[in-house]
Amino acid sequence: MTEIIQEKALHVLIDSLISEGKTVGGPVAGTNHRYMYAKVQSADEMLVNPPAMPMNSIKEFVFPRRETLYTFRYDGKDLSLTDAPAFEETQVLFGVRPCDAVANQILDPLFAWDYNDKFFQSRRERTTVVTLACKTIDDHCFCTSLGFGPESSIGADAMLLDLGNGEYEVRTFTDKGKSLFAGKTEQSDKAGCAAATLEIKFDAQAVTEYLREHFDDPIWSETSLRCVGCGACTYVCPTCHCFDIIEEGNSNAGSRVKTWDTCQFALFTHHASGHNPRRDQSQRQRNRIQHKFRIYPDKFGLILCTGCGNCTRECSTSLGVRPVLQYIAAKAKGLQPAS
Amino acid sequence: MTDNIYKPDLMEVIDVTQQTVDVKSVKIRFRDAERAKDFSFRVGQFGLYSVFGYGESTFNICSSSNWHDHIEFCFRKTGRVTEQMWKVNPGDTIGFRGSYGNSYPTQAWEGKDLIFVGGGIAMPPIRCAIWFALENREKYGKITIVYGARTVGDLVYKNELKEWAKHPDVEVLSTVDPGGETPDWSGKVGFVPTVLKEANIDCGNAVALVVGPPIMIKFSLPVLAEQGMKDANIYTSLENRMKCGLGKCGRCNCGPFYVCKEGPVFTLEQLKLLPDDY
Repeated sequence: MTEIIQEKALHVLIDSLISEGKTVGGPVAGTNHRYMYAKVQSADEMLVNPPAMPMNSIKEFVFPRRETLYTFRYDGKDLSLTDAPAFEETQVLFGVRPCDAVANQILDPLFAWDYNDKFFQSRRERTTVVTLACKTIDDHCFCTSLGFGPESSIGADAMLLDLGNGEYEVRTFTDKGKSLFAGKTEQSDKAGCAAATLEIKFDAQAVTEYLREHFDDPIWSETSLRCVGCGACTYVCPTCHCFDIIEEGNSNAGSRVKTWDTCQFALFTHHASGHNPRRDQSQRQRNRIQHKFRIYPDKFGLILCTGCGNCTRECSTSLGVRPVLQYIAAKAKGLQPAS
Repeated sequence: MTDNIYKPDLMEVIDVTQQTVDVKSVKIRFRDAERAKDFSFRVGQFGLYSVFGYGESTFNICSSSNWHDHIEFCFRKTGRVTEQMWKVNPGDTIGFRGSYGNSYPTQAWEGKDLIFVGGGIAMPPIRCAIWFALENREKYGKITIVYGARTVGDLVYKNELKEWAKHPDVEVLSTVDPGGETPDWSGKVGFVPTVLKEANIDCGNAVALVVGPPIMIKFSLPVLAEQGMKDANIYTSLENRMKCGLGKCGRCNCGPFYVCKEGPVFTLEQLKLLPDDY
């Protein structure tokens, strides 16, 4: 027997969460047949099962684009600092791709590395993630190459599987997921779901091994030639976590703010002296790939990539990481890959 | 929110000294007496210093860890934050986060001769170690300080150089690049590596701390190597651009090493394992 929920009941659930004051997010339709994860005001706005991949990731809900760390104010010469209000919302996200859910879990050790980043952690604790098993995939997907898959439950509190006819099978994995769907589902003998299958596109382990030995290597200039350095790949990436700390306001009152940043910009590592360790795009590309596939695994035992394919999907030159990884994996096998 | 790792402590500026035309050193102490009591650091560590409304910059803590009533840092006026830091006066309030990073292994250095080699604005990260060693004088052997700058006007902590030279068994060799001397300059004229070569140093039982511009480091290392100094006994302090200092913002890494957490202090032996990413 399986637990199922009808689409109508799902909408009722979403609307009741919103009326309880919870923040509910999920895929919404944008312009040009594109979809994005965003906060919704009613279930009607959300497409739990959109026909194409959302452009962004749910990173926005646990690690917002901008987040105030604290504010400062001068009263004459007296300066006071005030903490940003604690995050007290409860967030429930629906229609999340399994690869996006995985990302939150991959980021956990970083934000707990010796110093706990309560900003990330409090949002993480207060967020329930309901994934939708992928029924369709596209050319850019490569989650299976990283050991995940269209039905991966890592980082998810519950998962919906599309049974067709407006019915979803509900699988719950955590207490948060169980309590969300408690009393909302019905028993059914409909079983199974045709989640998509996806062939493994490269050997991720071989990539990591190759990167350890090839910091200085022609691959970086070869693969970065078509990179324009816009940084879009890092903003749509569910695991890219690099940030800047900036000042908003003026010298009398303002806030210190954490904002997304990207390793693809030259200023990212530009020293005050004028020296820049990563002055070329190839060095910045190298850092991105090395960080994801070698440095992070060496530090935390996890590859900083989920195989979602967003970076290639949104790249104006269709680069992103996958073509580079396939190139490296072929090199690692001793093949001469086509660039 | 409690435990906000990004929120600085408020510090009272107690003294500002102009060291060169564009370098100042600043003494600060915690406004919160309780925090001051809890605070400790190790020489070689760094902090992030805030001018509110402008931003944060990263500097070494250049005072000795034995000085409990205040900490010091030194900066060059070069950007948005340091332009404002330049205008700070005693009595003003700035922000401080730290201390962060690893430190000089002062215990492992005990019983050894110490060779300090610095250039220009890189004196502050050496100064903290010099004072620490002088305050624990019996634990260390001969101390040699080779410090150079482009011109006499670019030397920082000039008065302290004289003071250090008064200590027993301490040799201070200050030098300026050819053309950088003034008529009353009594120090040496020449580049740091040359002066280091002529110095009477014995690398047999010594460690060296070499901090300065890349060109100075590049030519000083072979001098030490010729004298038989092992890579594992040569230390340096790296600087890389930082925002958080906490291992999270993702920009200060040299290959797999985060300068803010696994640095800033590295031995030459470790440095040779680092990729060319700094």
